[in-house]
Amino acid sequence: MAQFSALAAAIALPFLGAALAPLLYRLLGDRVGLAGAAVATASFALLLTQLGADGTVSVPWIPSMGVAVRLTVDGLSLLFALLASGIGVLIFAYASEYMHGKPDLGRFYSALLAFMGSIVGLALAADLVVLFVFWELTSVCSFVLIGYYTADEESRYSARMAMLITVGGGLCLLVAILLLGVGADAAGLARFDLSAILANREAVAEALRARGLFVPTLVLVVVAAGAKSAQVPLYFWLPGAMVAPTPVSAFLHSATMVKVGVYALGRLRPLLQGPEWTAVVATLGLVTMTVGAMLAVISTDIKELLAYSTASHLGLLVAAFGFDSHYGAEAGAFHLFNHALFKAALFLVAGIIAHEAGTRMIEDLGGLRADLPITAAITFLAALSMAGIPPFSGFYSKEIMFEAAWDAAQAGGGLAWLYPATAVFASIFTVLYSLRFLWLFFGDRPSGLPAVHRPPVGLLAPPAVLAVGVLIVSLFPGLAVDRILDDAAAVTAVSSVEIHAGLPTYLSGPVVMSAITITVGVAAFPFYDRIQTGLNRIRAATTVLHPTTVYDALLAAADRGSAVAGRGVHNGLIRTYVWWVLSAACVLTLAGFATTTTGLPAPAIAETPAALVLVLAVAVVAAVAVTTAESHVTGVLTLGILGFMVAIFYILASGADLALTQLVVETLLLLIFLLVIEELPAFYGEIDWPRVSRDAALSVAVGTTAFVSVLYAARDAAGPPTETATYFTDNAIPEGGGANIVNVILTDFRAFDTLGESIVIVLAALSVLVLLTMRDRGETR
Amino acid sequence: MTTVIMRTTARIVVPIILVVAVSLFLQGHSLPGGGFIGGVLTVAAFGLIYVAYNLDYLESGVLDREVEYNTVIGQHRTVTAYRRLFMFGLAVVVASGVAGIVLGEPFLAQSYTYVHLPLFGEVEFASAVVFDFGIFCIVVGGLLTVFSVVGAE
Repeated sequence: MAQFSALAAAIALPFLGAALAPLLYRLLGDRVGLAGAAVATASFALLLTQLGADGTVSVPWIPSMGVAVRLTVDGLSLLFALLASGIGVLIFAYASEYMHGKPDLGRFYSALLAFMGSIVGLALAADLVVLFVFWELTSVCSFVLIGYYTADEESRYSARMAMLITVGGGLCLLVAILLLGVGADAAGLARFDLSAILANREAVAEALRARGLFVPTLVLVVVAAGAKSAQVPLYFWLPGAMVAPTPVSAFLHSATMVKVGVYALGRLRPLLQGPEWTAVVATLGLVTMTVGAMLAVISTDIKELLAYSTASHLGLLVAAFGFDSHYGAEAGAFHLFNHALFKAALFLVAGIIAHEAGTRMIEDLGGLRADLPITAAITFLAALSMAGIPPFSGFYSKEIMFEAAWDAAQAGGGLAWLYPATAVFASIFTVLYSLRFLWLFFGDRPSGLPAVHRPPVGLLAPPAVLAVGVLIVSLFPGLAVDRILDDAAAVTAVSSVEIHAGLPTYLSGPVVMSAITITVGVAAFPFYDRIQTGLNRIRAATTVLHPTTVYDALLAAADRGSAVAGRGVHNGLIRTYVWWVLSAACVLTLAGFATTTTGLPAPAIAETPAALVLVLAVAVVAAVAVTTAESHVTGVLTLGILGFMVAIFYILASGADLALTQLVVETLLLLIFLLVIEELPAFYGEIDWPRVSRDAALSVAVGTTAFVSVLYAARDAAGPPTETATYFTDNAIPEGGGANIVNVILTDFRAFDTLGESIVIVLAALSVLVLLTMRDRGETR
Repeated sequence: MTTVIMRTTARIVVPIILVVAVSLFLQGHSLPGGGFIGGVLTVAAFGLIYVAYNLDYLESGVLDREVEYNTVIGQHRTVTAYRRLFMFGLAVVVASGVAGIVLGEPFLAQSYTYVHLPLFGEVEFASAVVFDFGIFCIVVGGLLTVFSVVGAE
């Protein structure tokens, strides 16, 4: 059984570290990275104690809405959380060497630790609201980390792009969560309890289908996952994110954060499975796999190559989860694990190359074997695993993915044969760019390349550990499969799962697919330059369709649109502000009434007392007089008459407190007027008819809104007092100890409202102070 | 506006307004009145002084102190006092809310009790009065800050 304390500690420790990181940076300096590694180790150890445990634990959070901090332990969540914290240890160790002497390391480690906490939390979350919170936290941390070089324009651009795309996807997830909540509610479950939803997945899916919400939910989940996991067409933020320091790229943008989308797809796969699921998810994944691999081939920068390759592999994972069969679940879980190992290692290698050779351009690099022998060995293992060459770990998982595609094609027939064909096509490019990356260490050394130093142990050890991991999985895949991968795959599957990892012993469709991939890939490698030229030509011909072009155009349009709208809405004239605020309030109120009520209640004219009519008549006369007043003095005095009439109206309607307030405020207004009277012009200027008619229309609208609101809100005079009114009259003295109900409501029953209102007064006073004194200091210029 | 009539009227009226304001505030729990109404009325009283005399009159005329001239309005001693008053009021309001939590009740929960005082007889003490006092201070401090800063323009 899972232990709440251990899981909560594994999540909370990194956040605690994040809070302390700036302080530790002052004490320890650059070595604070090692403290981060210690925190990650602690989290990792805590999670390891839960290995083999199973189940969900929870503590209530918002009981009234059925939200609880539910944490679940199963194969998939543990796999993901262990990967995040385990790779986290290596990344922190690497970063403490790599980021040596860089500025703002307190902020850097703080964000990195907070990110790790969020990802562990996300992996363990079994409540949709908790999941969403951690999901968005990873986006925010990623934003901070991509924008690490705050002075760099490209950094800021990329950070903003990543933020817009992933948070935009997060909004889709939020809507999907609400829809799932509707389904769970209809199936009689707690609204956001993910583990219960998955346990009763058939009932929930049925409830969603009955309401026509199944496909919208599915599409929203896929959009959210696609944005986060860099699927076509939302992949373009990922290469941009490579402006971040290399440890960040290795951690967030290859091993963990970008897999969050894949993880979510794996989690929800049993619930949303069906023909629609395969059509959408498998197709999306395969397209991404192909586009990503082709873009990786034409990359000129090693980090760019790895970024596109990550997008391509994420496509592979998504496609694997898209296939219905148990092979899909197995390939997804297994490749998730393999990819985290080899891709993190390759990113760290890229960091070493950039650090020691001083360049990341592919054409300037080559023959590094002699300078960096250990790095070359690490790359050899990782790159061949990435290419899917037997007997390296990547081959096993890719082979299962081929089986899934083959299986789907056999079951579907016809167009479904495009699945295995596309998978093979994309994998050929995968082999190509993997070999190209490996070739950095072989071939001739370019003449321009300066002397390359051996990297320090701090940089070399983390990727070496990962490469040893790749080697172990390659030689003894059963070790990882038995420990965790079978359990992880079982969570994402509806049928029984048993991963067979090993070299094929007999000829079958998938084996032929692998053979074609590797043979063609290796055979085409000598013609790499020509393939690159061809792909570049295709790319140049389709510039209009590039997502970055569309993104930039949309952003520019939004900029222009807000500039235009901004000029109209806030131009510095109070008159304009008032106009927009009041007309918006009127439209919203009237629209609310129009959509929720039928018919207008008739005002009880006959029962109105004569005194009331008289007072209101005087008020109306005063109101008309205000509009025709010729000077400020007469205008304000007639306005005073109107105010005092309203006060008398309150007295007649036995609202003593209201009347008092009205009188006092009216007095204060007169006083303020006395203060400014000498500054005002004696007469109004020329009448501007368009403006006057606009103001008149607004006045009529406000009047109508107030009138209609009163008609609806006023209680039926003949009927009994409303429930709320009865509650207050009954409880004012026993509960609040005061006979003045209005005051008891203000200070006791509704004290929170009063607190908010008093804060408004404070804010108003502060803003007046700040605005006027800042102008005196000349800070506005 | 600083005519003799205005000043004389203000001298007579302001004390009356202040007494009424305080009584409205104190009786607020059981009779018409309360922190907001009392506060606004107090603002009216101080505003009258301001209009009839000037911002410095409170210091020079009432407290008989030396007044520093040529300071920026935001740092004026009287304005600083007003600003401290609404900060104090906000602190009182929040503290009265937190007191509820400390005593194991929800945030902003109020209570009351009856005590026997000589001369007054049975008197009700409601914790809501503390809350209302905070509101009173916020209204007086906040509005007078706005009043004096804008008035200085």
